[in-house]
Amino acid sequence: MSTQFSEEFLKVGNDKIQMFKGGSGDPLLILHGAGGNRGPLRYAQALANHFTVYLPSHPGFGKSDRPEWIETIQDLASFYTWVQELHDLEGVRAIGFSMGGWLAAEIAATCRHAFSSLMLVNSVGIKPQSSEIADIFIISPSQIAELTFHDPKQAPEYHQIFEETPTAEQTDMAERDREMAVRVCWRPYMHDPRLPHLLQRVSIPTSIVWGRQDRIVPLECAELYHQIIKGSELKVIDGCGHSPHIEKPDEFVKIALDFFS
Amino acid sequence: MDVFYFTEMPYTEFPESEVEKYPSMRLTFPNTYFDANKAHDLFKRYLDEYQYAEEVGFDGLMINEHHNTPSCMNVEVNISGGILARITSKAKILMLGNLLPTSDNPVRLAEEIAMLDVISGGRIISGFVRGIGIESWANNTNPVYNRERFEECHDLVIKTWTTPGPFRWEGKHYHYRAVNPWMLPLQKPHPPVWVPGTGSPETVQWTARNRYTYAAFLTPLEVAQGLFQRYREYAAEDGWEPGPDKFAFMICCHVNETEEKAQEAGKAFMWRMNYPLRGPREYWSPPGYMSKAGAAAVAARRPTPLNEMSYQELQDKYHLVVGNPDSVIKKLRHIKEQLGIGALLLEAQGGPLSHQDTMRSLELFGKEVLPALKD
Repeated sequence: MSTQFSEEFLKVGNDKIQMFKGGSGDPLLILHGAGGNRGPLRYAQALANHFTVYLPSHPGFGKSDRPEWIETIQDLASFYTWVQELHDLEGVRAIGFSMGGWLAAEIAATCRHAFSSLMLVNSVGIKPQSSEIADIFIISPSQIAELTFHDPKQAPEYHQIFEETPTAEQTDMAERDREMAVRVCWRPYMHDPRLPHLLQRVSIPTSIVWGRQDRIVPLECAELYHQIIKGSELKVIDGCGHSPHIEKPDEFVKIALDFFS
Repeated sequence: MDVFYFTEMPYTEFPESEVEKYPSMRLTFPNTYFDANKAHDLFKRYLDEYQYAEEVGFDGLMINEHHNTPSCMNVEVNISGGILARITSKAKILMLGNLLPTSDNPVRLAEEIAMLDVISGGRIISGFVRGIGIESWANNTNPVYNRERFEECHDLVIKTWTTPGPFRWEGKHYHYRAVNPWMLPLQKPHPPVWVPGTGSPETVQWTARNRYTYAAFLTPLEVAQGLFQRYREYAAEDGWEPGPDKFAFMICCHVNETEEKAQEAGKAFMWRMNYPLRGPREYWSPPGYMSKAGAAAVAARRPTPLNEMSYQELQDKYHLVVGNPDSVIKKLRHIKEQLGIGALLLEAQGGPLSHQDTMRSLELFGKEVLPALKD
């Protein structure tokens, strides 16, 4: 059963950000990854049956404005606490995917009241010690798509997301998204040396969810997040790559509903 | 019209079959194939050839800089500039160029170029380049800031050369407390600045606004004409008219005793037209490196990429001029007439072109071609 999502534009200072919103119930904030805001996919629709789902496009992504001053993930985190303050989104449940998880971790690490509970899914942000995060900027978008999935055939929306010919507008948006990701993630690449230290203060319920066969962000990063964040749970999904919410949406939603209820 | 001699100082002695195994010769082809002893010998010949080029009458000597590629061993243009400053005495030294965006220390860069200008007796032409995409990867400079860093680095270098120190600088990318080097350029207000381009409109505009010389690199003649025309339009908007000294053009060129010998030896240039120009789009154009207008201009620049052109096509399209002295003179004169340039940059050593062929070519340039072009 699909839920209607609306598209809104929220004012934040002199800028506006694009926000997809749908469902009913307690708010659930979803922070997308470096690949951009794919909108209310199947997993989001399912979650919208239990929560009011907020799915913003980060500044510089999608149809959101790009404030000149935003250059780092930490700047994005500061911006989001402002969004939360202005639009009554403080103390909410939050999910962050990949770069969005890094962003969510930064917010939680600096702002005690930002979230009531937090789920980090295949998230960057902590530098692995014995493995490496794949350099997604030096490869093509189609190579990234290939790296993202363990088995694309099990992703119900794979065709609609990756195999349909994009419009000129979609291509432009994808390039702009990629530039913004490069802007904030370039160096140190996909990590913040401070984060392991600041995460020690996080004491909200936290779930680390990981597709085991992630060829972009190694499982070691899941273990590092799990070790550092006190009381966190670690759920590894077998036979799944970097994007469980797309590759195994039903299993992912079940884990999310178990955690957030 | 000044004529410059140029080589990228390539290292070609490894099996080409190995390159096929990698996405590109640039950036990620492993440096395990680099033999420092071979490189030592190569530098000896390349530097001897530069000295000989001055001796036979080239007005200038051009050097460039690239990273992570066998096609150019010149990884620091200020080092080779320093060498030329001492082993030559008359020719202009065109450094085309220093990579501004990858510089983390524009003041140091200003000091280095000033030192070269002083030691050379005021012969430096200071080229400033944005760098091809590869340089962003190799130096890990964020490509989205490429143009901003280029412009701020430039502004700071020029200020360092022309404003009495000490002064402070709190910019977006660069910050200094006491800019006051005891090294300023000999040429006043500063060495001439040249900027190379292959089509990006922003580069033409910036160069024209600053009244610097624009050097079109390996573009088709009509594209070069179009770029120079745009330069003239920007200049007109600012109320001035550029002379030929504002326009330069680079091509590959080999002259030999007979047409047959030239055509045979000239095939060496196919090496530099092949692997060094091939690679994934991301290598050449990292995200954020080029504006949409720039990308469109580059795409429109030539319908067939250089690395897909045959030896004959490259000659027909004036990317490569090869022949006996008469045919080379004729073709270079044609370029001069078509483009109205003040400087012709001849890449006269390329790929595996031997020391013997290079020296013979330089000798013939000196004896026949350069004097003919002076008329």
